[in-house]
Amino acid sequence: MSIIQKLKNKVRSRSIHVSYVNVGSCNGCDIEILACLSPRYDLEQYGIYVHNNPREADILLITGALCEQWDDKLVSLWEKIPEPKAAITIGNCPVSGCVFNRRGSYVNPPVSKHIPVAASIPGCPPRPSEIVSTILSLAPEVFKDFEEKKR
Amino acid sequence: MKKTVDVSLPIGPVHPVFKEPARIKCETMGEKVLSAEVELGYVKKGIERIMRDRPWQEVMFLAERICGICSVIHNMVFIEAVEKACDIALAPRAAYLRVIVNELDRMQSHILANYSYCYTIEHETLAMYLLNIRETVMDQLELLTGARVTCAYIIPGGVRFDIKPADAEKLKLALLKIESDIRRFMGMFENGRMIALRSKEVGILTPEEARIAHAVGPTARASGVRLDERLNHATYKLLNFEPVLRDECDNYARIMVRFQEVLQSIALIRKCLNEMPAGLIRSGGEVGAGSYSWKGEAPRGELTYDLKTDEYGRILDIAIMTPSIMNIEACGHYMLKGIDSAADITSTFISSDPCIACNER
Repeated sequence: MSIIQKLKNKVRSRSIHVSYVNVGSCNGCDIEILACLSPRYDLEQYGIYVHNNPREADILLITGALCEQWDDKLVSLWEKIPEPKAAITIGNCPVSGCVFNRRGSYVNPPVSKHIPVAASIPGCPPRPSEIVSTILSLAPEVFKDFEEKKR
Repeated sequence: MKKTVDVSLPIGPVHPVFKEPARIKCETMGEKVLSAEVELGYVKKGIERIMRDRPWQEVMFLAERICGICSVIHNMVFIEAVEKACDIALAPRAAYLRVIVNELDRMQSHILANYSYCYTIEHETLAMYLLNIRETVMDQLELLTGARVTCAYIIPGGVRFDIKPADAEKLKLALLKIESDIRRFMGMFENGRMIALRSKEVGILTPEEARIAHAVGPTARASGVRLDERLNHATYKLLNFEPVLRDECDNYARIMVRFQEVLQSIALIRKCLNEMPAGLIRSGGEVGAGSYSWKGEAPRGELTYDLKTDEYGRILDIAIMTPSIMNIEACGHYMLKGIDSAADITSTFISSDPCIACNER
């Protein structure tokens, strides 16, 4: 392993930038992401920063059952994120559509049809601690030795 | 003199301060906003359409998932409309338990709204304090109902769980802590000079404009309009409820109304715990044919459910009116117009506490 790769691994392990996007959620999952920011869970002690700018993000959190408006927008949002990147879906909606996936509704799940999804957290909504632990366990899988694996 | 070019300034749909996707299009002259338009439609799911021809047991859970922030009030107004349509009696103890859970939900929603505002004006310290005290309120909700967000606590004729004496003591202790903390944060907000610079005289909504736009909830009450659906609710009448009114009409007043309502909710919960009669928490009943239109006071304003059921308890027709759409229009047409700085656009929008998921459904 080259020195530069070691350095990158070291830096990336404590600097995970997160952006979240609501593609048709009921807000329940969004406020559980917000709750992660609170001093009780304190995302920043693990080096996770939420600033909602896709161009700076490493991890995209997706909530919601994918409404028609987002069919093309989600892909363009995903392309704006620089490599290495990963998408995590939060809640039942991005997986199955949850209660909204009925005949006559305007949702189009799953999200994995449109962009590659690395992990899913089921639950309606999942607890903040589950969101934190998923980000922390997924990040090393994706970011460790990223350049060497690519070669 | 240099000629100022009119700029069309779009904000959103993905923006750091928005919890949900919405887009504000502003026509600006330099920094001054001449007019604004709010564009919606990013989270339309068609819930009312899939509610039709389904049994009330399913619609109850769908109603709760219209909005994740104020899920208890959606549950409560839907169930109360069903009860009134089918003449189901309500157990007296359950009426008080409903008020307790509803007021806890209102507290967490108001604290979240004030957090968003403080975060938007970049006062992150106060924002984080508020978000932390909100977790204490969420714990109390979880203690009573068993879930943090989607509780499904209220059912026709009563509620799901009774409150144990030990839990009531825990709730009273937590209320003491929440009250002292909220008083401290309210003082910080009230006396903060930098906060006053960003909030006072910004985003004016005069009482006449509030009436024309039919603003509801804290947005209307901050403009001195006495509009609160809790005044028409039987249990709140027993508790001698009086709405909080302010007359400053600006962003500062809207946030202060929410702070005062959190304290008011704490007083209401205490009163409920003291006056609650003993007895059963459910009464019998069967959902049959009927139709009713019923209103309730959500954290953001009045919420209307108009429904029709058939003899098997299926929902034949349902129409929902949520409070945010009126507040968003009031914000777009009156509050944003004439703002002196582009930095105040997002904070003014957030001060009206828009809930996009609610009003698109």
